[in-house]
Amino acid sequence: MSTPLLEIRGLSKRFGGLVAVDDVNFCIAPGETLGLIGPNGAGKTTLINLISGSVTPTTGEILFEGRSITSASAFRRARQGIGRTFQIMKPFPGLSVLDNVAVGALFGTSTTAKALRVAREEAREWLELMDLSRHADQRADELGGPDRKRLELAKAIAMKPKLLLLDEVMAGLNHVEIDDVIEAIRKVRSTGISVLVIEHVIKAVQSLADRLLVLHHGKQIIEGAPDAVLADPRVIEAYLGRRRA
Amino acid sequence: MTPKLKVALAVAVTCALASLPWLASATILQFSISTLLLATLAQGWNIIGGYTGYASFGNSVFFGLGSYGTAIAMVQWHLPFGVGLVFGAVLAVVFALVLGIPVLRLRGHYFAIATLALSQVMTAIVSNLEIAGRNTGLVLPLLNGDPLFYELSLALLVLATLTVFWIAHSRFGFGLIAIRENEDAAASMGINTTLYKVLAFAISGIFSALAGGIHAYWITFIDPVSAFDLSLNVKMIIMTVFGGPASILGPVVGAFVLSGISEILSSAISSVASLFFGAVIIVAVVFMPRGLADVLRRFRKTGWRYFSENVKKYRL
Ligand SMILES: Nc1ncnc2c1ncn2[C@@H]1O[C@H](COP(=O)(O)OP(=O)(O)OP(=O)(O)O)[C@@H](O)[C@H]1O
Ligand SMILES: [Mg+2]
Repeated sequence: MSTPLLEIRGLSKRFGGLVAVDDVNFCIAPGETLGLIGPNGAGKTTLINLISGSVTPTTGEILFEGRSITSASAFRRARQGIGRTFQIMKPFPGLSVLDNVAVGALFGTSTTAKALRVAREEAREWLELMDLSRHADQRADELGGPDRKRLELAKAIAMKPKLLLLDEVMAGLNHVEIDDVIEAIRKVRSTGISVLVIEHVIKAVQSLADRLLVLHHGKQIIEGAPDAVLADPRVIEAYLGRRRA
Repeated sequence: MTPKLKVALAVAVTCALASLPWLASATILQFSISTLLLATLAQGWNIIGGYTGYASFGNSVFFGLGSYGTAIAMVQWHLPFGVGLVFGAVLAVVFALVLGIPVLRLRGHYFAIATLALSQVMTAIVSNLEIAGRNTGLVLPLLNGDPLFYELSLALLVLATLTVFWIAHSRFGFGLIAIRENEDAAASMGINTTLYKVLAFAISGIFSALAGGIHAYWITFIDPVSAFDLSLNVKMIIMTVFGGPASILGPVVGAFVLSGISEILSSAISSVASLFFGAVIIVAVVFMPRGLADVLRRFRKTGWRYFSENVKKYRL
């Protein structure tokens, strides 16, 4: 096997007395989509924060393209190709929807200092993909819930990342909207990038993920093919069981 | 208005302003110099406060450093004025780099309070420096040349405004705005937030320091309390917010309008002046919290409703 795009080694994060992420180990291959599931409070968002650099690990190591990025700052990781969405969305409220996405095109992994005009042109294409074109000139804080979710995704995609970290981008969307977003993620992924997708919507995880990783109380309890993982009794007990109860 | 027309208009206005020393009386010229310097200070504050969203109370420190840098170079080392200005600006940049990095980690009110504290500390430090003349301050060589000071101040304001124009249209400025709107999102999208903030602080500081240097040479006397006067920083904020933060001409218009009002008031009824001035500001904040620039942009579309909508929108 070639070097994985992302490698996580013995990663832990402690918040005071709480171990939010507990000795997690996994890899993501280039072009692979890994689904990350687990009950509320399992540590999924914390794991994404660790990978994107918003939070520093207590112990463990993170390698991106074979090099350690454990102590690199968030913006450096973004430049190297790690793009993310936020579960609690972080739009640029006073900017137009178009300019929100243009920030991704202007910065992100872009190495040349391109003109603002070029970045806005690129941003228009991403808005098209995310079905947001008609809102291009609106302020981001005027968008409704589902459109905000799509904007969050469009901003991350516009960075042209090699690894896209998606934290519940489908929460709060209806079935039709979910299908659209899945389609959009597929399109982006077809350019060869890797994706780490956190989702409570099982249908979405099943149709996108090549592999699944289950977190519970910060520990990874199982990792493998989606169907096998979802059928595993430990997963049903920890995750699905609790939700049905 | 087409871009060409705008440029032509800007050049015409600048030329008209530049011809003032040949037309105006000595009193008006003096008032104009201090207004131009205030507009430059407001424009400088606009970069860190308006575009980057960091409400700095440290810009009066930059002003003080510029004043003292120029004064020390001229009085103690007998260097020419130009060298003094550069020395003052260098002090401002060093201050922005050394103290900006820790202080710019703080957000919102904490940043404001930290810079507020810095300005007190700087006054105390300078009051104890032998080279800065301790409590008594320094007396600069006398130069009778108000027209020269006027043209210098105008040139500095034009430079500051061109810089803000560049910021508003550049990748750097786009990054600053992103930081203001959401710093975490900005960082996770690849913006070197620390570098951008420190640069914005330093550029802002350079203009304050240059204004301070010109002011010091103009009034020929500086002491710690007046050079590091916090109320000057408050003026920068009020003028910028009144005119329109994060706009290119807002701070300039704000400075001109408010200086004019306060001058008229203080010559007429000095004791009631500051009270009335305060009232003007409160009314402005309630009815046009996004500044004159925003009124001009949106008034045509919304008419008088603009003001009532603002009151509703910001729950004032
Ligand atoms: N900054 C923080 N400080 C203290 N505790 C935190 C912090 N961030 C997360 N936690 C705690 O860590 C645990 C894991 O939180 P996390 O947000 O990673 O869970 P999650 O799997 O994303 O849950 P959800 O499905 O609800 O989004 C929770 O108990 C949470 O309260
Ligand atoms: Mg979460």
